Amino acid sequence: GVAPLGPVPLQKEHQCQFQMMEAAYYHMPHPSDSERLRTYLPRNPVPTPLYYHQVPLPHSDTVEFFQRLSTETLFFIFYYMEGTKAQYLAAKALKKQSWRFHTKFMMWFQRHEEPKIINEEFEQGTYIYFDYEKWGQRKKEGFTFEYKYLEDRDLN
Amino acid sequence: DRAQGGPTAHIHSGILQVRARDFDDPPGLMEKTEYLLREWISIHYSATAGRDPTRAFSIFVQQMNGHGILKTDDLITRFFRLSTQMCVDLCYRFLAETPNTPTLVRTKCFHTLDAFVRLIALLVKHSGDASNTNTKINLLNKVLGIVAGVLLQDHDNRLAEFQQLPYHRIFIMLFLELNAPEAVLEAINYQVLTAFCHTLHILRPAKAPGFAYAWLELVSHRVFIGRMLSVTPQQKGWGMYAQLLIDLFKFLAPFLRNAELAKPVTLLYKGTLRVLLVLLHDFPEFLCDYHYGFCDVIPPNCIQMRNVILSAFPRNMRLPDPFTPNLKVDMLPEIAHAPRLLTNFASMIQPVSFKKDLDSYLKARAPVTFLSELRSNLQVSNEPGMCYNIPLMNALVLYVGTQAITFIRNKGLTPNMSTIAHSSHMDIFQNLAVDLDTEGRYLFLNAIANQLRYPNSHTHYFSCTLLYLFAEANTEAIQEQITRVLLERLIVNRPHPWGLLITFIELIKNPTYKFWNHEFVHCAPEIEKLFESVARSCMVQKQV
Repeated sequence: GVAPLGPVPLQKEHQCQFQMMEAAYYHMPHPSDSERLRTYLPRNPVPTPLYYHQVPLPHSDTVEFFQRLSTETLFFIFYYMEGTKAQYLAAKALKKQSWRFHTKFMMWFQRHEEPKIINEEFEQGTYIYFDYEKWGQRKKEGFTFEYKYLEDRDLN
Repeated sequence: DRAQGGPTAHIHSGILQVRARDFDDPPGLMEKTEYLLREWISIHYSATAGRDPTRAFSIFVQQMNGHGILKTDDLITRFFRLSTQMCVDLCYRFLAETPNTPTLVRTKCFHTLDAFVRLIALLVKHSGDASNTNTKINLLNKVLGIVAGVLLQDHDNRLAEFQQLPYHRIFIMLFLELNAPEAVLEAINYQVLTAFCHTLHILRPAKAPGFAYAWLELVSHRVFIGRMLSVTPQQKGWGMYAQLLIDLFKFLAPFLRNAELAKPVTLLYKGTLRVLLVLLHDFPEFLCDYHYGFCDVIPPNCIQMRNVILSAFPRNMRLPDPFTPNLKVDMLPEIAHAPRLLTNFASMIQPVSFKKDLDSYLKARAPVTFLSELRSNLQVSNEPGMCYNIPLMNALVLYVGTQAITFIRNKGLTPNMSTIAHSSHMDIFQNLAVDLDTEGRYLFLNAIANQLRYPNSHTHYFSCTLLYLFAEANTEAIQEQITRVLLERLIVNRPHPWGLLITFIELIKNPTYKFWNHEFVHCAPEIEKLFESVARSCMVQKQV
């Protein structure tokens, strides 16, 4: 049988332990309990049919994969998944696509054309930027990008 | 645990402070704590704190100073105790609000708990001088003791209403905060790990079963495993981590041995198996080194769980395929090397007088009374299923085996089917095989089978021993039981230990054992079919 030594009745101590464990079984730890708080996209586990993807694609946690995503997806990840590896990878992919982060406006800018002026402190010209409030790309002519607001840390 | 001095002293003093019925807080301390905690939460989440957390913290420390909280250690610990209780009470209130969604409840709980955890982390980091690690560690141990004490008290008072959530959150977030890549924290990392291990050991499932699931989540958290088994140099975290796993196995044992798995047990068992699989994949050497201690506490019927542990082998080793025709195990260079064992099994042979008699028998091969008294030395009760002292049996088998290997080597020989025979060591094994009843023999054979692992001197010696016992058995019952012990470890799903496969294949392949002539092989058609299918998979070119 499966209990080669034969069953042994549980001692009182073990019965008490079982009762406490059974009670705990009804309020099991949640995956979010050991993660940083996700403000915008909290975990919300639900049963999904098995014929849907249950796990993300393999290697979807690499910069190469993120570079294949649309810029809008990258902006979404950047603003809605703060403090995660995904945010870091999104920022990396955006930088590779020549987007630059402006630390005062907290928005991403891309040169629309060669800047009209470039000097030590700033550059000026027409830029495309992503407006996270209107949720779309806009164009700004004659914009001065001061380099002191340029986020230029090396993302390794 | 309760040794004076050392880190645990501070943890226990924290626990005692919570559990003491007669602590009188100075008048107004409760109100002050509540006020300060609220202040901290609002400072912590304010916009300025986001830009300059250090400044926010120093403003708050000034406030604490203003209220005299930082004057004495006693007041600081009281502040932490009251704060922990307040945070926990708040969580219970949120959890009781029915119309909330689970996500919202958690968001509200985490808001308070995370701020509190940040405060603890900052106070630990900034207590004492930058170079004074003692102050920081003592404070951490004190706080962990306080949280553990509040948990245990809450657990005992609320019973089935107990909630793991606030404690789980405090422990894991504090652990992550204190493992951030900062020089101050890296300097105290080993002591931080020690402090958490002691706390988790105090809160082991047997002591706080209502916390068991959160406890397993903490013990198996990727950052925790990484720090304990990989990042810390010289494997200094291995012993502590092994202790936590032993705590888990010990807790599960009485439920698993009866094989009546209620849902709550099944879930914890599945979680345990997952952790073991992660360890088998990422840290096989860890499972190798501590297999003995683990097998000692895992019930004999948990075959797969034990197989996972016994299947571990050092990553730099290439195992020859056990199904290779004419594989010569004796020729493998690895079988000359003893495996590393980090459990002191010799000291587990108790009482001292028995160990003394054992040693003198091994030396002199006398008196014969030692053999006849062996059984009574191993027996602890007359209750069926609980007759024998299993750890003593395991220790005896391994000790005699290792002594035998040394004995044979000292004669300038190597262990094989003929050199292992006719010695005081084999006397003991043969006597156990013949003299023990079915239960005892089952445990004895299991103790041998627990050594059948990757190619090493123990695997080889015990493989020969088991085959020798089969060949020399005076009754079919012994042979049937040897077959049973091997087979039941092979018919479960993978993984299967290498030495186990080697031994079983040898048994059914080598004609000297006349395996197929035995009655028990043909006792029932389904058993016969089973043997045939195992044989088919073992023998590529079956010659029957």
